Amino acid sequence: MIGGRRPLPGRKLADRRVRVERPHSPYFRYTGPGQMVAKQAASVPLTPAGRLVFRARSLVFGRPLASEEEIGERLAKKKALAIFSSDAISSSAYATEEILRVLIVAGAAGALAYSIGVSIAIALLLTIVSFSYRQVCRAYPNGGGAYIVARQNLAPIFGLIAAAALLIDYVMTVAVSTASAIQQIQSILPAAFDYRIEIAFVSISLITIGNLRGLRESGNIFAVPTYLFVGLALLIVVGGVFRIVSGTAHALPPQPDAVPLGATEQLSIFLLLKAFAGGSVALTGVEAIANGVPAFKKPEAKNAANTMITMAFLLGIIFIGITIVARAFAIVPSVDNSGGPTVVALVAGTVFGASPLFYLFQIATALILFLAANTSFNAFPRLAAILAADGYMPRQFSFRGDRLAYSWGIVLLAAIAFGLLVLFNGDTHALIPLYSVGVFVCFTLSQSGMVKHWFTTREPGWWWRAVVNAFGCVLTFVVLIIVTSVKFQNGAYLVIILIPVLVAMMLFIQRQYGAAQRQLAIRPDYILRPPHREERVVIPIPGLTRAVIQAVNVGRSISEDVRAVYISEDPDAALAVRAQWERQVPGVPLVVVESPYRALVGPLLAYLDVLDRAWPPDKPEPITFVVVPEYVARHWWERILYNQSSKRLRAVLVGRPHTVVVSSPYRREEESRFDPPPVPETTSQS
Amino acid sequence: MTAVPDVHQPPFKRAVLAVNGGSSDARIVRLACQAAKLSKAQLVAVHVVEIDWSLPLEADVASRSEDAQRVLDAVEGIAESEHQEIETVLLQARDVGAALVDESSERAADMLILGLPYRKRFGGDFAIGSTIPYVLSNAPCAVWVVREPIVEISRGS
Repeated sequence: MIGGRRPLPGRKLADRRVRVERPHSPYFRYTGPGQMVAKQAASVPLTPAGRLVFRARSLVFGRPLASEEEIGERLAKKKALAIFSSDAISSSAYATEEILRVLIVAGAAGALAYSIGVSIAIALLLTIVSFSYRQVCRAYPNGGGAYIVARQNLAPIFGLIAAAALLIDYVMTVAVSTASAIQQIQSILPAAFDYRIEIAFVSISLITIGNLRGLRESGNIFAVPTYLFVGLALLIVVGGVFRIVSGTAHALPPQPDAVPLGATEQLSIFLLLKAFAGGSVALTGVEAIANGVPAFKKPEAKNAANTMITMAFLLGIIFIGITIVARAFAIVPSVDNSGGPTVVALVAGTVFGASPLFYLFQIATALILFLAANTSFNAFPRLAAILAADGYMPRQFSFRGDRLAYSWGIVLLAAIAFGLLVLFNGDTHALIPLYSVGVFVCFTLSQSGMVKHWFTTREPGWWWRAVVNAFGCVLTFVVLIIVTSVKFQNGAYLVIILIPVLVAMMLFIQRQYGAAQRQLAIRPDYILRPPHREERVVIPIPGLTRAVIQAVNVGRSISEDVRAVYISEDPDAALAVRAQWERQVPGVPLVVVESPYRALVGPLLAYLDVLDRAWPPDKPEPITFVVVPEYVARHWWERILYNQSSKRLRAVLVGRPHTVVVSSPYRREEESRFDPPPVPETTSQS
Repeated sequence: MTAVPDVHQPPFKRAVLAVNGGSSDARIVRLACQAAKLSKAQLVAVHVVEIDWSLPLEADVASRSEDAQRVLDAVEGIAESEHQEIETVLLQARDVGAALVDESSERAADMLILGLPYRKRFGGDFAIGSTIPYVLSNAPCAVWVVREPIVEISRGS
């Protein structure tokens, strides 16, 4: 083998050939002149421990995906409906209960008489909001939802308010859905009440892993429970309505944990509005499709708009249907956080009895609620990535992991949501007041932005589109006022505080990035000139070692002006080092700095300052290269034994003006370079 | 008596593909990948850089040439898109045909696949050149020459 070329004989002498090695081939692929693409092998860690972690990660999260594989990760409509609609549709599992919990204080008559009216009003609101968002899907095929619409059409600050509200909404979706799912499990397995936090941890962890594996596989995981819930819920509605029509529906006796009947409050407009505000939690998650338009298969906008209508239709039918059946059977919710059955479980019981279908429905409800959190796991990281790309969030949020998922956003969402669940002790009813406010802030800003959009673009049919969005805007704003006022004391105030805090944080981050960008920017007319400043090298040494010799060689390759600095607290040791240095490293001056106060960093910095001050004032400041000799540890545990002083030096010197810190690592493999050449054996003939 | 070919026999177990960066490379690589998938055969793509007699054969030519590397990298990319592994070999030789035949022999390949591009210039033509006839005459294994389809070109344009 000569320089990567292996001569090989041929059948004839003139047929010899040379096989040429391709050293880049395992790691890179040429795609154009001077352009390469890294292969997966280039990202595989080199150390055994690193490789072990890499294998473990691949096992849990799947093999890393290349960027060009992303197109295969787009979602078809059926799968997208399961992923993006699980949040909205699953809210039908607790929306009716929230209405009944409010109306029950006015006595059984009040609850039974008005729950259907309230649910129909909410369904009408859902219809208007869905049609409004359908227009967002078509007008903004790149996604972003309320944030993009408000930012582009109103002002950046409104975009940030919408973004903050959305981020809160997504976190609340995970927390509320998980808490409600555990309640569904309690309905068939009361002992689960004692382990609700543990169940929440496991479920959130599983969803997190599923999402870190990538979008497509998430779709496969989540499609089955969503469609199972929808199918069984429609069966309950049909079965319940049939019993009502056939006259076999009758009021059920309250379960042991039921809220005691008896009017403690007068039925009033305020109470009805409060019930409306409670039930409007059914609208949460409607905007997820508009935010995730780019995740759809082509034509993205059309598919997303159609999925939006399908989702709204299913949600409306299931929500009103469950409320009608609950009213017909006079179902009363259980006492809050008592571990009793949920309203939706009681409704299912009226149709399915104690049959396996009842248990299957409860499992499906729990699953869709667990998986509703997945809507947020898709939407939150996407929104965070858009915000990061715009400079309002740390840039890490826009980086995609091995599986093309926005790993930072996914992990952050999981952590905050689980923290909330622990804080609120897994109580759905306690979490819900924080939930709806952010949603209606987004709705209002998004709709008002769309009105402005239609007036600006004046596309065909713009006026009726503007009317739809204007109507939606006014309606959602009114609901926002209602929701905020009636839930203010129950926790909505936290959201009112949190939104401005998040907006301020995003503006602060953007200002920091902006300042850094301005400082790093190069003028368009700037041309890099050859170096004109002198260089000098300073090598802080701990004694005379092989690492120091290597650092001196590195320093000599940078400049002829090389000096070593030995900072010592022991004058005798300093004398010994000097003697050895002058004997073994001739030509490189050694400066010994005695440090009676045993400081290392301070005297070195002071010495560098002295050097600067001694520089002739008529010459440009020289560049000082501080070459730090370091010993490379072979094992992770060795790292705490070595280079602690080097780390401190580097940390201090990094910010020093006109100073470049050079790390000169010495590896044990290099020790053969310092070994003396073998002495030939000689035979003595004495 | 005529021997009846065994239709259950895989077309090849190890094939050498001659690639030159031309238009037929993608076609023969895809064909070979699809055939190899059925029989789990091994594929070796060989690109030969011809060294003229003014330079020593061992001259540092191919390893310094991004173009030569890119030919094989493109082949790797096509095979990857077909989910098929392919080994790539870069050779320097005085004669492409001889190098291909010798490489096939050394690797005990049972198939050597070459492409025959259609040249649109001068009214369209298949220029067989000297490599294909040499391989057909000398290769110890089966040879599969994949001719590109004839492209209709309008005379007036």
